[in-house]
Amino acid sequence: MKLKQGSFLWYLYLDKLYCLLSVRNVKVLVEYFHLLDVHHNNTLNDVLFYHFLHHVTNWKRRQIMIVFNMLDWNAMGEIGFDQFYMLVCILLAQQNHLEEQFIFRHSRPVFELLDLEGELRIGADNFHMYNFLFNIKKQELKELYHDFDITGDRSSETKYQILPEIIFLSFPQQKRLNYKEFKLFTIFTMDKYQERQKTEKENEEKRKKEKKALLKKKMQHQVNVSSKQSSFTSRSESRM
Amino acid sequence: MEEKPFRASLGSGGSDTSRPDNDIRNLWTRATLSQSKLNVPLPNVCEDSDLEDSSPHSKTRRWCNEKARRDSDGGWDHGEYKDGFKQEELEDHSLLELQLRQESSLGSHLEEGDVDSKTEIEMSSSESSLNILKHTPHRAYWAEQQNRLPLPLMELMENEALEILTKALRSYRSAIGRDHFLTKQLQRSIEGLKRRRSKRLNLLAY
Repeated sequence: MKLKQGSFLWYLYLDKLYCLLSVRNVKVLVEYFHLLDVHHNNTLNDVLFYHFLHHVTNWKRRQIMIVFNMLDWNAMGEIGFDQFYMLVCILLAQQNHLEEQFIFRHSRPVFELLDLEGELRIGADNFHMYNFLFNIKKQELKELYHDFDITGDRSSETKYQILPEIIFLSFPQQKRLNYKEFKLFTIFTMDKYQERQKTEKENEEKRKKEKKALLKKKMQHQVNVSSKQSSFTSRSESRM
Repeated sequence: MEEKPFRASLGSGGSDTSRPDNDIRNLWTRATLSQSKLNVPLPNVCEDSDLEDSSPHSKTRRWCNEKARRDSDGGWDHGEYKDGFKQEELEDHSLLELQLRQESSLGSHLEEGDVDSKTEIEMSSSESSLNILKHTPHRAYWAEQQNRLPLPLMELMENEALEILTKALRSYRSAIGRDHFLTKQLQRSIEGLKRRRSKRLNLLAY
């Protein structure tokens, strides 16, 4: 998902630590929401919501309506400012590649959003439906259900083995996660994300060092060549 | 995507340059852009200044106190602090930035001065900066900004809302018809936005 360049949301940003908007940004967002709230209900209906998202993102109609149904948790056919704010934070997290951090910081609200049926469990289908929102890839989903479905609901006997970093289930049945399992997943994802960032930084530093070393070699080589040339010319002049 | 075009949008409004408000806003924009260059221990500055309890000064004091508290908590992790630094704090201490600039410009003339003359100059600079704080239009600007959003930002928001609502109007008309009260309500909002935009454009033309 990409936010439309130059759109109002494109200018907003999340606090990187807490993945939330500042008070000033929220104030501005409230004004923006009121501009769109043409019926003065402090809500946006599905038509206004669709046109807003269609204008600022590159999502298709199907994706927009999935998001609307997810946010319309009272099934009123409208969404209020709280849900609008949540959506804006999710959009900005995606735009700035902060999905892992966002899910880690706000695991409870995200879990509640994904738990469409209200059963306090989320299945693979829920994740798959919303992976365009949180950018969870297929491989990660597989690992998620393989590694973190500890209780493995609908199975009375559960055997698990605790390894240094991975907790896995021997006999998974219907793979659905409760909130604790989901929270574990967010913690491990966050760890992976931080490790990835660390390795990227280290690689970058390595590349810079290598570049510098190459440059130095080149410089030295040039100096050697020029000194040789100058000594040759001075010798030939002395012979003459 | 960092804290960029918010400030760009503040500076890029098409308002008349001869108006004093616009000059203040340009100064404001430059102050917030250069806030990362602070290198003077701020608690010292705050202790020296005798601040009144008016809105910009109380904000300055609050910001100083918070910074001092953070310092005493034993960790000024610049990286983390920068990341968690909120927009309103940037604007709060841009006043301090102006103060410090004046002090640093005076201080730069003393490389090997004696202590007495230094302290005298520091005192006079803090007094002069206080006077500047009292008399500059920043206070009025601050008071205004508490209630209103910057004009360029409003313009951006209204233009975008207008585009969205115009497309929504087409959907309304095709779905529920032109005569439905919701369609009429939407139409009135669009007309209101258009009127506001044309007013703004007329003002700019003058």
